[in-house]
Formats: sequence, structure tokens, C-alpha cells
Amino acid sequence: MLRRLLVKSLLPFLAMVAASCGGPAVPEVETLDEQGFQQLIRERNGKILFVNVWATWCAPCREEFPALVKLAEVYRDSEVEIIGVSADYPDEIASKIVPFLQKQNANFKNYVRNFADDQAFIKSINPKWSGALPVTALYDREGNQQVFHLGEADFETFRQYIEELR
Amino acid sequence: MQTVKWMMALMMMGFFATASAQEALAPGAQVKDFTLKDYTGKEHKLSDYKEKAGIVILFVATQCPVSNAYNERMEALHKEYSAKNLVFIGINSNKQESVEEVAGHAKENGLTFTILKDPNNVIADQFGATVTPEAFLLNKELKVVYHGRIDDSQRPAQIKKQDLRKALDEFLGGKAITDADTKAFGCSIKRVK
Repeated sequence: MLRRLLVKSLLPFLAMVAASCGGPAVPEVETLDEQGFQQLIRERNGKILFVNVWATWCAPCREEFPALVKLAEVYRDSEVEIIGVSADYPDEIASKIVPFLQKQNANFKNYVRNFADDQAFIKSINPKWSGALPVTALYDREGNQQVFHLGEADFETFRQYIEELR
Repeated sequence: MQTVKWMMALMMMGFFATASAQEALAPGAQVKDFTLKDYTGKEHKLSDYKEKAGIVILFVATQCPVSNAYNERMEALHKEYSAKNLVFIGINSNKQESVEEVAGHAKENGLTFTILKDPNNVIADQFGATVTPEAFLLNKELKVVYHGRIDDSQRPAQIKKQDLRKALDEFLGGKAITDADTKAFGCSIKRVK
């Protein structure tokens, strides 16, 4: 508990220090529960939602991450919202998630799962999904899931999924 | 023409959406008999274990941190439930993990249950297994009675639901399994293309 509080209170401070030193900003990682995820899907504001579920311990997730960074660059300021959901633990934000995102030069919003039970989240993404990572899902402007992709994909595959929804 | 192209694209998307969600054998599904070699080269036929009360199949890995987080728990369950006439069989279907690596990993981690090597992920495909660790409990007729996770947390201190243990106890007690299909985050099984 104390550790979690320390992490939460230290991150904005570290971000401020990094910014004032001219260094790269520390990526902000928020926790995401079931309600928060459903809200993200519901409140589309006319944007397509691209969700990638990954983890620092997942080798194919690490391999495909540069494709996500490239995708976020291409679709910056567009009608496509790209988010990542890490399946690491919330108390690993400072120790694992942020260092990984910094190393990858992550340029899109990332969350860490904080579900009461992971399987509710897994089933909400796709009832047939076992929980194997990585996974990518795309939701249209009305919040309807249009694409579910299990396993690693490349930039071109991701781009095609988005273009077919635009 | 443009409409037809758009419809084709949508159909393709539908295809991607379902084709990439490989479906595991659900409770009630029949498992086809198979023979695989363990890491010592000894052949094991699934139906040879029909005299047991049930068979627990565990898809495992050597390099997956999630599967490795469960090594001690899998071994403990194997020891406890072998005494209750269940058999535990691990299957390694990862293309990049060799028989030698599986043998070394079992020795280093004190895994004493049988671990089979599944070349070309044929048996993983048959089960529709996609993640490690992933458990299937089979009855004497080789039908799936439980599929899914071992428990609900990679961290032993944070476990709230011991799903596999509960299923084993219900199965051995002749009861219906309360939650027969469960899910957890894990590593993808690395398949041959």
C-alpha cells in the first residue's frame, strides 16, 4: 500500500524534474479497472479506439511495440485513439512499465490493469480469448468491436485494420 | 464497385476477427487420443492413462515468466493429486524450446510430472491451446471437464481463487464443476507457421 502511494506520488514529481532538466518526460501510466475500460469503449467522441494489451514479460509484445510507436506517430492528432493496457501489476509502474515505455519512446497513452479479476476483462475483449498476449482490438466510433487480433502483428497489419475502419 | 470493395474489406475483417481467436476445447469436448514422447524419449499414449480417475494436461513453457511463476504450484498439485489417482501431464508445444531445454528446465525446477514435447504444436492445435500455463482436466472418457487457469494470480500471495484445485476437488467428489472455463493472462504458445 505504502509502496503504491509512493509510486503514485513520485511519478508526477519525476516527470516535473525530467521536464525541467530538459530530459524526456516520464510517461504517465494510470491504472485501469473494468469500469474505466468500459467507459473508454463507450465514450468514443467520434474516434476509433485501438487497444493493445501487452506486458513487459511478454517477448512478442516487446517485439511488436516499435510498430505501435510508429502507428501512434502516423495517427497523431487524428480520429484514432491508440492506447496500451499493460498486464503487469500496478506496483510495477515505476520499476518495470515506465522504464520499458521510456526505452521504447512510447508516444501513446498506456494503462496498467487493475481489475478485480482479470478474466472479466479478458472475456469482455473476446470470450474466446484465453488471455495469451499480445492482443489487439479495434472499436469503431460507436464502441463496437470490429477487429480482434491474437498474437504479434506488424505496422502494416495494424495500419490496414485502422484504414478499413476510417 | 466501391461498395463491393468495402463489403469485401468488412468480410475480411470479420474473418480476421474470428480466425485469429483460436478456440480451445470447451468443457464437454472429446479429446482425440494421441501419442507423444517425453523429454527422455519415452512414448506416452493418452488413452494409457484411462485407468486413472482423471488426467490433468498442463501446457507449459521453459522461457515464459508466467508459466515459470507456476512451477512450484504445478509440482505441488501434481504431488497432492497423484495420491488421489489423478495424473498430471505437461506438454511443451513452443517451437523454440528444444527437448534438451525442456529436460534441463524440469530438472532445475524440480518438476517431476511427465512433460511431453509436442513437435510442430500438433497437440496444442488439437486442444486449441494458446497460452502458458493452460490447464485441461479430462475424465476417463477423455472428455474435457475443466479448462483454463490454475488460479487467479501469478503472485502466490495474491491468490483469491484456486480454480484448478477447486475443479479437481469437485470432480473427485463427483460434483458438477462450478466454474469449468476460466481465463488468465499468459504467454502465447509459439507455433510453427
